[in-house]
Amino acid sequence: MPIVIAPTNCLLKIVRIAADDKTKKHLENLGITLNSEITILSCSGGSVVCRVKDGRIALDRDISTKIFVA
Amino acid sequence: MKKFALAGNPNSGKTTLFNSLTGSTAHVGNWPGVTVDKREGVYKKTPNPVQIIDLPGIYSLSPYTPEEVIARNYILDEKPDCVINIVDATNLERNLYLTTQLLEIDVPVVVALNMMDAVEKAGDKIDAAELQAKLGVPVIAISALKETGLKDLMNRAYEASGAEREGATVLSDTPVAHLIGDVKIALKGQNVEDPLFHAVKLVENDSIEVEMHKETTPMIEEFKHTFSDEVFGDDFEALIADGRYKYISKNFASAVTKKEKDTLKMTKSDKADKVLTHKIWGIPIFVVILFAIFHLTFAEDFLYLGAIFKLPTLEELGLLDEAGEPLNAGVLILSTLYDGQLSSPGVFINNVWNDLIVGQFFGWLGGLVEESSMAPWAIGLINNGIFDGISAVLSFLPPILVLFLFFSILEDSGYMARIAFILDRMFRRFGLSGRAFMPMIMGFGCSVPAMINARTLADEKERTATIRVIPFFSCGAKLPILTACAGAIVAWFGISNADAITFGMYILGIVAAIVTVLLMRSTTLKGETPPFIMELPAYHAPQFKNLMAHLWDKTKHFVKKAFTIILASTIVIWLLSHFSFNWHFLEDEQINESILAGVSQFFQPLFTPLGFGSQLGQYGWVFVVAVVAGLIAKENVIATFATLAACLMAVVGMDFGKLAIDAEDGVDAVQAMIMATGITVPAIISFIAFNMTTIPCFAAVGTAKAELDNKKRYNGTLVFWLTTSYCIGAMVYTIGSWWWTLFIWLFVIALVVTGIVLWNKYGKDWRKHLWARGK
Repeated sequence: MPIVIAPTNCLLKIVRIAADDKTKKHLENLGITLNSEITILSCSGGSVVCRVKDGRIALDRDISTKIFVA
Repeated sequence: MKKFALAGNPNSGKTTLFNSLTGSTAHVGNWPGVTVDKREGVYKKTPNPVQIIDLPGIYSLSPYTPEEVIARNYILDEKPDCVINIVDATNLERNLYLTTQLLEIDVPVVVALNMMDAVEKAGDKIDAAELQAKLGVPVIAISALKETGLKDLMNRAYEASGAEREGATVLSDTPVAHLIGDVKIALKGQNVEDPLFHAVKLVENDSIEVEMHKETTPMIEEFKHTFSDEVFGDDFEALIADGRYKYISKNFASAVTKKEKDTLKMTKSDKADKVLTHKIWGIPIFVVILFAIFHLTFAEDFLYLGAIFKLPTLEELGLLDEAGEPLNAGVLILSTLYDGQLSSPGVFINNVWNDLIVGQFFGWLGGLVEESSMAPWAIGLINNGIFDGISAVLSFLPPILVLFLFFSILEDSGYMARIAFILDRMFRRFGLSGRAFMPMIMGFGCSVPAMINARTLADEKERTATIRVIPFFSCGAKLPILTACAGAIVAWFGISNADAITFGMYILGIVAAIVTVLLMRSTTLKGETPPFIMELPAYHAPQFKNLMAHLWDKTKHFVKKAFTIILASTIVIWLLSHFSFNWHFLEDEQINESILAGVSQFFQPLFTPLGFGSQLGQYGWVFVVAVVAGLIAKENVIATFATLAACLMAVVGMDFGKLAIDAEDGVDAVQAMIMATGITVPAIISFIAFNMTTIPCFAAVGTAKAELDNKKRYNGTLVFWLTTSYCIGAMVYTIGSWWWTLFIWLFVIALVVTGIVLWNKYGKDWRKHLWARGK
């Protein structure tokens, strides 16, 4: 499921990133890679704040519908 | 001299370290992307001095935004003698991702483990010695802020810079290790420098690399066909990213001991974010904070106590003499804090500065000049030309600093990054990402660094639109125009609430920015809104040292400008207003025969629709002069008024009543203009609005030209500024003077909107149709 509808505050695993190459690369640099862990801290109207490694990353609705977790 | 480059993730403390090492006061903020250009300084405590280069923050060596390209190219092309890799110890894994890439370059690397104090404070431990053993390069724990470990770091870097280092990769366990080895050998055969680094990037399919090494790519493509991974397919880039992170967590996890085993526990920052980035409350909280800042800076009636409790004025308390002046020095001091209403901190500092310091000083200095045996024209030039102009500008130093202090606090605490996030949803509707908010809010300080910061925007059209509207976020130099005009409106027309007028003008600027961005993004700068992906730094208490450094920088800049460009401009304006076309010296009373008056009167009619043109009569041209002088530096607007005020008062010779108008104060200078020309309130507001949104100062125009780097875009930008400011000025004046013109404006706006919508929908068909008929 995309992270916009994922449960908050539990450990999730990223299974697919359906963004364009440039954006995907940037996400990877920030630690949002396939197979890595992510925790959703808050989701308001599609905008997501998540914890990746020890950092907090904010994403807009458009991009967060393209990151899928299991 | 040896060159050491500082490289690391955004917001990992590179600039703080740079400042500590070199004694500079470069701008530091708690959000990713403060530094967008490289910066140089010298460190002197090593055996030989070394040059330190502060680079923009990068997450990896595959750049995403233009400023990241600067950092990458510097490390690869300029070949520093050592790269000091700053690693934020509070987010070790993510930061080491860049480290693993830096290690692939054939350059000495030293890792500075920064923010170790924060790690220890949280009760966690990081074993620097173990990290060093695993990374194979020196690792030194430091705190850039508290300046601990810096000497050790620099000595180790100095040692390391003496030896050669061959790049090493952490990818030797991945399925592509063999391919990387082959490409490396191929590149080595072509005498490419840093073969390992380029080999990895080529395998990653990095666009810059593929462009650089076209002849090697077929080899990789061939390999790709024979290769398939069950998770990643042939997505090498994702595979390599995964390989790096896997290596990091496998090898370096043992160096970290966490006190809190529960990784899902919320930190204080997370809890604060629950409130501050709330879906509904986020934006109202931001607006309240913004208003509080303006209230603390500009409110004459702090917390509206005076209005609520109907407090007595000093006059009612019998503390003023008949002329309305304070009875004694004690009352004068009291008057800075209280006069029927309590001054807000900003106003109090402002009063102390102006009534007790600047006013007294220039009064005394003016007296000296007056009594000297100089020729009357020289006395006029010094007192009215120079002193009045400069003191009028200097009188605005307090509000600029106070306002700037509050913005620095917001920035340093980490709240700014949150504002960008909560505004993103709103910005998106206008075709911008929340990222664009950063350069915009920097515009409140000065447009020049703000336009440079727009480099953090990845999309070119978004960047152009942002650069164009940055001047609408009223900068420190425009603040005097606002405060002086608002103050004069309050004093002359008896309308209260200077803070509300000022706040309103700031809001007008923001609205103008939003509307014009929307307009541009749906006409000339169409394009998809880039995604918003931003790291939110942890909140921390603002650093006193940082705040003071910001304020000191601002003061220096402002004072320097006052005594150079503004001083020169006031002298020129005074001269032009005291000589006629055949170079005869004119008395103050003959100002209307001057060169300045002659030229400006010619252009005066242009501003009639804006309320400060022909309708103001024979002295109305002063506003034209102010506008033109403002193109050099916006402080000039009020300085010009102050320089011309003495002449105008001499001619008009009005009954000043109880108002002590001495032109040394910008507010009084504007009041003199109001008296001489009879300008109305809507016209003054239109004048403010026009100056706020028109072509900014020389420095900002030059920066826009350099940053846009496209002649057509640049010319378009100048036209854009002129038309926007003219329209806004005219709108403010006409609606303010005759409310029913609102409907005419609404009608025009509706017509334009419909036109754009229709054109965007059917424009293509129409063009095709016309073209077909032409054939």
